[in-house]
Amino acid sequence: MAREIYAYKCRKCGHLHYPFRMVCKGCRQNDFFAFDIVPLPKNGKLLTFTRVYNLPAEFEVPTLGLGMVELANGLRITGQLEVDDPQIGMAVRGDVKVVRKTAYEKFYGMVFTAA
Amino acid sequence: MREVYVAGIGITTFTRLEYPLSEIAAYPAMMALKDAGITDVDHLYVANMGSARVNHQTALASAVVDSLSLTPAGAAVVENGPASGASAIKAGFAAVASGMHDVVLVTGAERMREVNNLEATDFIATLTHPLAEYIYGVTLPSHAAMFTRLYMEKYGVTERHLAMVAVKNQNNAMLNEFAHLHQPITIEGILDSPEAMTNNPYVAEPLRFFDACPVSDGGAAVILVSEDVAKTIDRPLVRLAGIGQATDTHAVHEREEPTDLLAVRRAAAQSFEMAGLTPQEVDVAELHDAFTILEIVESEEVGFFPKGEGHIALEKGETALDGSLPINPSGGLKGKGHPVGATGVAQAHEIVAQLRGEAGDRQVEGARVGFTCNFGGFGNNVVCLTFVRED
Repeated sequence: MAREIYAYKCRKCGHLHYPFRMVCKGCRQNDFFAFDIVPLPKNGKLLTFTRVYNLPAEFEVPTLGLGMVELANGLRITGQLEVDDPQIGMAVRGDVKVVRKTAYEKFYGMVFTAA
Repeated sequence: MREVYVAGIGITTFTRLEYPLSEIAAYPAMMALKDAGITDVDHLYVANMGSARVNHQTALASAVVDSLSLTPAGAAVVENGPASGASAIKAGFAAVASGMHDVVLVTGAERMREVNNLEATDFIATLTHPLAEYIYGVTLPSHAAMFTRLYMEKYGVTERHLAMVAVKNQNNAMLNEFAHLHQPITIEGILDSPEAMTNNPYVAEPLRFFDACPVSDGGAAVILVSEDVAKTIDRPLVRLAGIGQATDTHAVHEREEPTDLLAVRRAAAQSFEMAGLTPQEVDVAELHDAFTILEIVESEEVGFFPKGEGHIALEKGETALDGSLPINPSGGLKGKGHPVGATGVAQAHEIVAQLRGEAGDRQVEGARVGFTCNFGGFGNNVVCLTFVRED
């Protein structure tokens, strides 16, 4: 099964959130289990980006691209960026992949490439 | 609320310090107690972010209060990320203003050089959103870099402006005996010469090595007292007149306008309102320049300059030591150093020294109103303080 990253949609007002929060930012309804999960769209527009050279040691790569993307439904996400010559505003497409590994765990997240 | 005054200040050199963390916290506290001529304290707040993670020590305040032989005074740690320092001052202010205590000692300390640079960067990165940011390798330099790129695109800030902040603040640090970096730099050396890419490589594009503050050990302390106590102390009278604090979304991408630092804007406005002053009345300011871009943007968000024009004021020299509004005369985090828990207290230390007229070669002549901005997270928890010289 393909892995997904989910947004959280308020059952009362429909406000979409990513990442998860306990209380809806739209209506501040104070109920437990107040959200439906909705897979995040994969396509979006690159808002800003960087290439980082001082990573925590467990990354075992000398440099890493990171970017902030506005997805098709308007939500934004921060993720890894595998684009040679990134430009603000370019179309990108996300895949859910392993983004960080420790000795015990693998973490999955969104990795963007040129669309 | 009662008025609250700063009776004493103390600081360590910011550098690599081969002392236990509790001593790095206690030493500036002793200096502050000597400065004020006080021996008894009602309560101690210790500002620190990383003792548990970096130094394998918890309950730091209990260690420090006993080391200072101040028991049985109350003591507690305030951990609020890089804004721990000013947050601890806020807690101390509340304790005195409410009438609960008359004398509160606030000391901030950090010992980050016990681990290597990558681990220190990772330690600070733990303040980012665990699932939406941290797992990707997002660090504070990467947040600042993505923010800088937007600012460049929208407002015309260039790498030259960033380098100008670095040069200004490291030159100011040359005049500060407590500063971490005593290394004069030039625009040519870090930007224009053929060696610049070697001297000043990218750490997170478009930010380079000299756009980031160093990783420092250090401590700073202030003593907050009621008006009655302040009148018995033979030191220039500096009042902590305004405090503002505001928060913003944990994940940076959730902010409506990614080039705004709303928490800075709101914390500063609150602080000025409480003090009954305007940004234009400030004579000297210490802003949280963990990255050069932040000094430019904070100078706009706190109200010194219109949005998008901080870099123009910088170009004109307005924020230089001899300008109309000197920013970071101490060298700022960039030149003085950034032992995270100590930083907010160290900013207050510099402003009180300036308002007392005790800042030596970097003295801003006749300064009577001073301001600090202590920036936690990537702008998600900000505390601003306004100080006034009264006598």
